[in-house]
Amino acid sequence: MARITIDPVTRIEGHLRVDVEVDGGIVNKAWASCTMWRGLETILRGRDAREGWVFAQRFCGVCTTVHAVASVRAVEDALSLEIPPNAQYIRNLILIGHALHDHIVHFYHLSALDFIDILQIPKADPAKAASIAEGSSSWTGNSRQELAAVQAKVKGLVASGQLGIFSHGYWGHPAMKLSPEVNLILFSHYLQALDFQRKSCQVVAILGGKTPHIQNLAVGGVMNAINLNSLATMNMDRLGMLQAILQDLIPFVQEVFLADTCLLAAYYPEYLHVGRGVANYLAVPDLPLDAKATKFDLPGGVIMNGDLASVRPILNWQDAEFRKAVTEDSTHAWYQGGGPLQPYKGQQIPDYTDFNPDAKYTWVKAPRYNGKPMQVGPLANVLVGYASGHALTRKWTDVAFSRIAAVQGLKVTPNDLQSTMGRYLARSIRSAMLSDLALEHLQLLTTNILNGDDTTYNAPQFPAGEIMGMGMHEAPRGALSHWVVIEKGVFTNYQAVVPTTWNASPRDEQGVPGPYESSLIGNPVVEPEKPLEVLRTVHSFDPCMACSCHTLDATGKEIAQVKVQ
Amino acid sequence: MNTILVIGLGNVFLGDDGFGPLAIETFRCKYEYPSHVEVLDLGTPGLDLAPYLYDKELVVVVDAVHSDTAIGALSIFHEEDFLSHRAKLRITGHDPGLWDSLTHLRLAGHAPLDLIIIGVNPASCEFSGQISEQVFGSASDAAALIAHSLSEHGSACILREAARAPNLWWLPIEHLEESTAA
Repeated sequence: MARITIDPVTRIEGHLRVDVEVDGGIVNKAWASCTMWRGLETILRGRDAREGWVFAQRFCGVCTTVHAVASVRAVEDALSLEIPPNAQYIRNLILIGHALHDHIVHFYHLSALDFIDILQIPKADPAKAASIAEGSSSWTGNSRQELAAVQAKVKGLVASGQLGIFSHGYWGHPAMKLSPEVNLILFSHYLQALDFQRKSCQVVAILGGKTPHIQNLAVGGVMNAINLNSLATMNMDRLGMLQAILQDLIPFVQEVFLADTCLLAAYYPEYLHVGRGVANYLAVPDLPLDAKATKFDLPGGVIMNGDLASVRPILNWQDAEFRKAVTEDSTHAWYQGGGPLQPYKGQQIPDYTDFNPDAKYTWVKAPRYNGKPMQVGPLANVLVGYASGHALTRKWTDVAFSRIAAVQGLKVTPNDLQSTMGRYLARSIRSAMLSDLALEHLQLLTTNILNGDDTTYNAPQFPAGEIMGMGMHEAPRGALSHWVVIEKGVFTNYQAVVPTTWNASPRDEQGVPGPYESSLIGNPVVEPEKPLEVLRTVHSFDPCMACSCHTLDATGKEIAQVKVQ
Repeated sequence: MNTILVIGLGNVFLGDDGFGPLAIETFRCKYEYPSHVEVLDLGTPGLDLAPYLYDKELVVVVDAVHSDTAIGALSIFHEEDFLSHRAKLRITGHDPGLWDSLTHLRLAGHAPLDLIIIGVNPASCEFSGQISEQVFGSASDAAALIAHSLSEHGSACILREAARAPNLWWLPIEHLEESTAA
């Protein structure tokens, strides 16, 4: 039996460490550990509730806007404050822009190289690659000339020995299975993705004033001035710019990103049967369509035990069960106390021990829903939508299934999505859905403004007594909720139950593991020194600090990235 | 389009890691600079750095960099110090994002022409909301180094007659009073 430690699996802020025990080439035990304390909730106590979002958007360097929006929604919920429709649409467009950006970067720049073997590219036939690519999508950037140019670039890098600076790891690994042509197609899209990453950033910047830290939010709405006759405000020019950017961006998402994940699924079908893990799913409703947030464009709901027929819809943010069901448990986390606490009563007094797999081993608490671990993220989003008959979800999921079938005849069902590959597919299906919704919400905003509504803000009034509120957002990595207690306009408690906490959850009081941990059980590991298969499954969740699997120390060695005992 | 970018990297709530944002805000308030220069606090963007670096002429990065010098000491690094022989030197805590972003941009043909890193040697980058005295005291020097780097590059920066009041919203009150007095 081998014990493999991968540390860090990811990094940007905080670190994720994964330990697995492998027996006979199969993982039979796993632990996920976050090795950095996130103490920002402590900083929020005592702050003015109107400014909480400014601090909350520094929770993480990558998902800035999601925390800003969840924070204002929590305070608005505590105040029962409605926000003007214009503010809902502007926030929705920012959230869509951010999500598209995040999903594109995750697939191409953070995880595609787990599946693409660059060393195969020089062997590809560009004409054959072009015909494969054109068969699976109507994208115009797949010509033989385009692909030949990318191939020449890669050959040049290999010849000059410069590939070393780009070496992400496991090239030539026996678990790499794409043909030279498909490697070439995917790598060429990897390069093109940079341009589309920029375009989705521009959507956020035009509406939010600035990225990565937006400036236009307020408890009660947004601070975007709307005046069709002024150059300095939200006017027809700006709306036209947004339209133009989206029209550029959307074909890349729907014809390239979605098509590429379908190619991966067709070439790596075994990953449709690996990595299922916790089959309880939670998604929260988002993209509200009215001031009171009674109708939503993205459905929420709960699925238990992988049974899609059992879906219980979460119709709105007032959902009584959700508010009662969510708890966090610190039995195996480096905090004092143990058993489950409701977020309003949540605490985080550090109690660091060391990595002790039988006791405390992570800075992440164990969130539970009615006592059960839940998987969150695009997969939960897509499964809940599919199971509840949401038309847009069904449309794009069925497009994905037929594209996969078109490659080599593989038939995929919604149940197969409960897997490592399903998480990659769901992320691109969700992106295709969000692309349609971006145009719809831009149209809603434009129509509302043309109808003469220029309101964007309702001023909050804080009562003297204690109030409590919860703000939800279906973020790129899944269901996010901020829980606040406010007295005289100041936070007295603040807890954020974030998507990566749900997914990277440690074992709870009952010893039940979280989604990362259980998804790794049964994963094959061909070479313990190069546990590529484990990384594929962990990366399929888009771990929050997912930057790179590498880190360097001062002497130039990669810090014990993988340790086999 | 802005062709020159000055960025502060770091999490303002991780002690001295917040030096980048502090230094660029100090620069913004003390110096006048040409309109093609953009000054941004980017926090800890990881790979999301790439869109900001796209097709720039010059990028000046300010960040906390562990080194053998005294706490608060400033050092200048160039891209070749770490990009050409990966692994020789760890520059900043945000290397992986900076590194990968530059590599992607280079492959796609949109990397910045020149990149300078101004690093401060931090005492601690743990969660605290406090910045150490020595590191806080180096912000003005870092601002001067930014101005010098831009001027050398042909974009002259001039000391403002009256410095603007910096917006250091994340710092505890005592630091705010100090910086206003300075």
